Amino acid sequence: MQDTITAVINPADEQGSYLEGAELEALQKYFRTGEMRVKAATQIGESASSIISETVAKSLLYGDITLPGGNMYPTRRYAACLRDLSYFLRYATYAMLAADASILDERVLNGLKETYSSLGVPIEPTIQAVQAMKEVVTSRVGADAGQEMDVYFDHLIAGLS
Amino acid sequence: MSIVAKVIAQSDEANRFLSSAELAKLQEFFSSSTARVSAAQKLAANQQKIVDEGSKRFWSQCPNTPSNSGNPQKTALCQRDQGWYIRLVSYCVLAGNSKPLEDIGLDGMRDMYVSLGVPLANLKLAMKCIKEVALGGLTAEEGALAAPYFDQLIRAF
Repeated sequence: MQDTITAVINPADEQGSYLEGAELEALQKYFRTGEMRVKAATQIGESASSIISETVAKSLLYGDITLPGGNMYPTRRYAACLRDLSYFLRYATYAMLAADASILDERVLNGLKETYSSLGVPIEPTIQAVQAMKEVVTSRVGADAGQEMDVYFDHLIAGLS
Repeated sequence: MSIVAKVIAQSDEANRFLSSAELAKLQEFFSSSTARVSAAQKLAANQQKIVDEGSKRFWSQCPNTPSNSGNPQKTALCQRDQGWYIRLVSYCVLAGNSKPLEDIGLDGMRDMYVSLGVPLANLKLAMKCIKEVALGGLTAEEGALAAPYFDQLIRAF
């Protein structure tokens, strides 16, 4: 995977140059947000399962999807949905810490749309759930960190669309 | 790879969020970032001086060595490599991780210098001198961030 720091070091090394100017500024900008990122990752990690429950309640629970014939019925499929939402949350949190979306591409999005369509998982409710997760996470971590998490949730949505 | 990428990869491997120990490590990394940036800037600005000073110290202890053989081309090449190692240390200080040094400058390093006929024991001494001079130009906090990578480099020779 790539992260913000590695992303500036590798090209600098190819030039044989120190990190200076714009690259160093980009790094400093990231460093200044580090504390906020670590704090948000701590909060999200501590309350991941309640974030998922609230997300489901907000987006999926009261719709037809949880009824017989829906994609979250029976319980096995409900649990699979919870598992996938928890993957989304965890990888978006990794990406937020790294300030780089590449881990989402590599570990989540690569082939996901095809997998879902072959399993018959509907994309539209999945996107609704991620939208709901954005709101839930922001309510837990605050506006600044929430905005940063949104970048990676939006990346997920774009990859699913 | 940076310390951030490293702890994420560890967590991913175990299918979990970051542990509190990993989060504390990142917190510590970010809280030292001002000193990391200033250390990297000083190493960059003083590279030439560090190499020149380090060479003088090194030659005074080990005069019979390729970089001091009277062949200016050899001297330039040796000093260029020493400067590169200072640059790799600066990357490590910014990344909070020794991977840049290992991947770019240590993997295969022995084979290369043996094939070039450069005595590793001499290089080890040269790097010790470089470290002394480099740390002399840093504050205690900056030095503490850079020293482990110089030490790893010295051990590798």
